[in-house]
Amino acid sequence: MTLADASNVTMNLPRRDARDKLLGRTRYTVDRKHPGMLHAALRRSDIASARIIKVDITDASRMPGVRAIALAADAPGMHGIGIADHPLFARDAIRFHGEPIAAVAADTQAQAQAAAAAIVVETEPLPAVLSMADALAPDAPLVHPEWRSYQVLVEGGVRGGNVAWEATVIRGDTEAAFARDDVVVVESCFRVGRQNHVSLEPRAVVASYEDGRYHIETSTQVPWTVRAMTAKLLGVPAAQVRVTVPPVGGGFGQKFDCTLEPYAAILARKTGRPVRLVYSRQEEMLTCLCRENAEIKIRSAVTKNGEIVGREAVVLMDCGAYGGEQIFLTTMTAHTLGGNYRLGSVKLASRAVYTNTPPNGAFRACNGVYNTFALERHTDEICQKIGMDPLEFRRRNVLGDGDIGATGQVFEGDVLGPMLDRMKRWRETAPSRKSLAARRLYGRATVVGTWFIFVGPSTATINLNADGSATVITAGVEIGSGTMVQALPQIVAYELGLHPDQVVVRSADTDAAGFDLGVGGGRTTVSIGAASRAAAEDVRRKLLAVASEMLQTPPDRLKLASGRVEIAGKEGSGTSIAAVVQRAHEVIGPVVGSGAFTKPGVTAMPGCAAGHFIDALDLPVFAVHDCEVAVDPDTGHVEILSYKVVQDVGRALNPRAIHSQIQGGVTQGLGYALHEELTIGQDGCIRQNSLETYRVPLALDTVPVEIDLYEGAPSIGPLGAKGAGEVPILNVPAAVGCAVANAIGRRVQQTPLTPPRVLGLLLGREPDVDLPHIGDDWWDNVLMKRPS
Amino acid sequence: MAVSFVVNGEERRSAADQMTPLVDVLRDEFFLTGAKAACREGACGACTVLLDGNPVVSCLVPVGMLEGREVRTVEALAPTEELSPVQQAMEEHDVVQCGMCFPGIVMVLTSFLAECPQAGPDEIKTALVGNICRCTGYERVVDAAVALAQRR
Repeated sequence: MTLADASNVTMNLPRRDARDKLLGRTRYTVDRKHPGMLHAALRRSDIASARIIKVDITDASRMPGVRAIALAADAPGMHGIGIADHPLFARDAIRFHGEPIAAVAADTQAQAQAAAAAIVVETEPLPAVLSMADALAPDAPLVHPEWRSYQVLVEGGVRGGNVAWEATVIRGDTEAAFARDDVVVVESCFRVGRQNHVSLEPRAVVASYEDGRYHIETSTQVPWTVRAMTAKLLGVPAAQVRVTVPPVGGGFGQKFDCTLEPYAAILARKTGRPVRLVYSRQEEMLTCLCRENAEIKIRSAVTKNGEIVGREAVVLMDCGAYGGEQIFLTTMTAHTLGGNYRLGSVKLASRAVYTNTPPNGAFRACNGVYNTFALERHTDEICQKIGMDPLEFRRRNVLGDGDIGATGQVFEGDVLGPMLDRMKRWRETAPSRKSLAARRLYGRATVVGTWFIFVGPSTATINLNADGSATVITAGVEIGSGTMVQALPQIVAYELGLHPDQVVVRSADTDAAGFDLGVGGGRTTVSIGAASRAAAEDVRRKLLAVASEMLQTPPDRLKLASGRVEIAGKEGSGTSIAAVVQRAHEVIGPVVGSGAFTKPGVTAMPGCAAGHFIDALDLPVFAVHDCEVAVDPDTGHVEILSYKVVQDVGRALNPRAIHSQIQGGVTQGLGYALHEELTIGQDGCIRQNSLETYRVPLALDTVPVEIDLYEGAPSIGPLGAKGAGEVPILNVPAAVGCAVANAIGRRVQQTPLTPPRVLGLLLGREPDVDLPHIGDDWWDNVLMKRPS
Repeated sequence: MAVSFVVNGEERRSAADQMTPLVDVLRDEFFLTGAKAACREGACGACTVLLDGNPVVSCLVPVGMLEGREVRTVEALAPTEELSPVQQAMEEHDVVQCGMCFPGIVMVLTSFLAECPQAGPDEIKTALVGNICRCTGYERVVDAAVALAQRR
C-alpha cells in the first residue's frame, strides 16, 4: 500500500473502514444488540384502499412474549415534505397495500410477527386508483378526499384532488415558437417503471427510551430529519430525540427519509426496553420508497439548423399514496428535463400524482435519470427529423458560459461543450468494439446530462487534541461512498498540516453535532466538506496565534506541515502542533474550531419557476456518457460492448474512490436500463416481492467502465471539489436507450429494455407509448390558470 | 434436542429449533455477526459460510442438519489480525464501499481460489454469481481477485 502524500490534498487515500468490513467486524444497525432488547413487527394492510371499521388487538396482546402494541392513537402527528399528508399508522383510511396499521413489540421476532398477524382489522373496501391515468381521470376517486385540510409545510406548489403537487416553469412564449413557419415540431412520449434500491442492509432501527428521551440508532442518511420527523409524529419536542448512526449498509436515497424509526421509538417508550425493528427483504421489496414510475410527454420546435426555439413538457411522477419526497422531486424536472440545452422558450409541468400504491421516494440522481433518458431520446428524434448528426447537434446546443437555463439562471463556465469535445476525441482514438457485435445489430450513442449538488446547511466542529490529532464532529454518515473516511480527513488534514490518519471522524450523533441536511444528492463532500474546511480554518487561526507568541513570528509567516508549525523558509526551526496545543491549554484553553456552510443562493429569473424547492442550481454537475451495444435480433438481448464516462468532478480529491463510485453508479444504471422494474398488480400490491423476481446486476453483468475525470469546472465546493457519487447513474438509461434505438432503428420509449420488450420493438409488436391522459395543449395539463 | 457442531474450530452446541436457519444461530446465539441475513432466501449470498469447506448460504441451512459438521465463518479467516490473501487483495484494490456483501464475497472467493488458484476473470465472475453487491459494480472485486490469482 502506498502512503498518501499529506502535502497534497489529492491522494488515493485508502478507506479506514475497509479492514473491519472485510473481517466481518463492522457492526451495522442490523448487528446491534442490547440486553433486554425486544423485537418489533408491523401489521400491514393487505388491501390497497379501504375504510377501517375496527382494529381489535385483544387476542394479539395476550399472545406469548407480547410486551406492547402501538396504534394510530400513539402517533398523533402527520409528516411529509411540503405537505403533511402522512400519518404513521393508517387511521380511518387505508391508502396502499402494505400500509402499517399497528406495531408489536415482543420477546422474539417470531412472537412479534405472530401477534401482528393476529390483530383483527375490519375494513370496508373502497375503489382504488392504481395508475396515474386512473388518478387523473375526471371522476377518479380521491386518494386523499381531505387534501385541503392538510398542513402546508412549504408554500408555492399548486395542489388539487389527486395532484399532490405541481411545479411549473414558464419562460418566454412557446405558443409563438411553435407557430413559427421555419420550425419542425417533434413530439415524444416516454414511460418508465419503479426501481428498488436493494440496499443490502434493509431499513433497520434500534430505539430506546432513557431519562425522558428517545435514543434512536438507525440506518439512515438523514439523522436530523429522523430527529425532527419522529418528534413531529409522536408530538414531543425535538430535543427529546437523539439520533446516532452506525455504519450504513447502503442507502442510494432510500434512507433519505424518516420511515421506521418512530415505530420503534413508540414501542421503546411503552415498554421501557430497547426495541429493534428490521424490515424483511419482502417488506423492502413491497414498501421500498422506490424511484418513481413516471410518464413524460415532450415536444420541441426546432429550426432546420438545429436551434431549439420552443419546448413544452409534462412529467407525471407517481408519488404513491403519500407525497413524501416526490413533492420535493417535482423540482428536479426543471433542471434535468429542462437542462443540458439552450432553449428559446420553455414550459414545463412536473406533477406528483397520488395513487393507491406504496409511496415512492428518492433514488440516486432522483427524477433526473428518467428525465435524462427522455430528453436524450427526444434529442435524437429531433436530430433524425432535421437530419443533423446527434453529436453535432449537442455540441451546438449545450449550455455554456453565460447561457440561460430553463428557469432563467445564468450558467457560469463552458463545461459540457469541452466535455463533449473530449468524448468525441476519445471515440475517434479508441478502437470501436463494433466487430464484437458480429451478426447482431450494432448501435452507439453519446449523451449528455445535467445534475446538481444538493447543497444546503451543514456544520462541523473540530477539536485539536493535545497529541496533535484532530477530531471532526459532523452529522455526516458513512453510507459506503467513502466521504467520511476519505474526502473529509483529506480536507481537514490538508488545512491543518496533518496526515489524514491523524484526523478522527466522529460518527453521526445529533447530541454532538449540529444540524445537517443529510448525506445524499452528492452533497457530503461539498457541504460537510466545506463546513469542515471552515472549522479547520478556525482551528488554524487559533493555533497560529498561540504559535506566533511561542515562536516570536507573525502568524502570516508560519505554516503547518507534517504535524508541525514551521517558520516559513526556516524548516526545522518551529515546533510540533502538539506542543502548541499544550501551550494553548495554558493560555487560551483547548483549541476548538467551528464552521458552517449553506447554499450560496444562485437566482432564477423572477417569475419563471412556480412550486419549486430549488429555483436555480447552486452547483451544477455535468456528465457525458458513450455506449456501444449489440442487440441479438432473435432474442432481443442487449449486450453492452463498451461504456465510456467523462464526468465533471470539479477537482478529484481521491481519484481512485471516484472511479469506484462511477463503476458502481453505472452498473446500477445498467440494471435500471436493462432489467430492473417493479410493477403493480391488480390488487395494488407490488408484484416483485423478492430478489428472485427483481433482477439486479450480478457479477456476470459486469461491464468495464472507462473513465475520464473532467477537472477545472467552476465549483463552490471545498478546494474546487464537486460531489461525484450521485451523478454516475444519471446518463445510463439515456446512453443505452439511444444506442439500442440506433441499433434496431425503432423508437425506444420505455425502460427497462428487457429482451421481450426489445424483441417486441424489432417485430413491431410493442405498442407505442402515447399517453392520452396528457393533453396536447400544455395548459390542459396544469391546475394553474391560463393567462387570459 | 441440542445440536453439536464445530464453529471456527470450536465445539459449539445450539438448543435452537432444528429448522432455525444457521445464520440466526451464528448471529443470535454465538454473536458472529459477520454473515448478514440480507435476503433470507438464498439470493444475495451475504450470509455465505463454509460448511465442511464448501460455501453455503447459511440462511437456507437448518441447524438440525449440522450435527458433527464443521462451519467456518468470515470471523475465522484472519484469526491473528493479519488479513487473509483474499481480504488483503480487496483492501489493496480499495474495493469496499458499504461493505455489507463482503463477508459473503470473501468466503466465496476464499473457497473458489483454493480450488482454482489460477482462475481468470470469467471463472471468477461465474463463481460470484450468487453474491449481490449493490455498490461496486463488481468490476473492482473481479480485478482484485484476478490480481491475487495472477500473483500465485
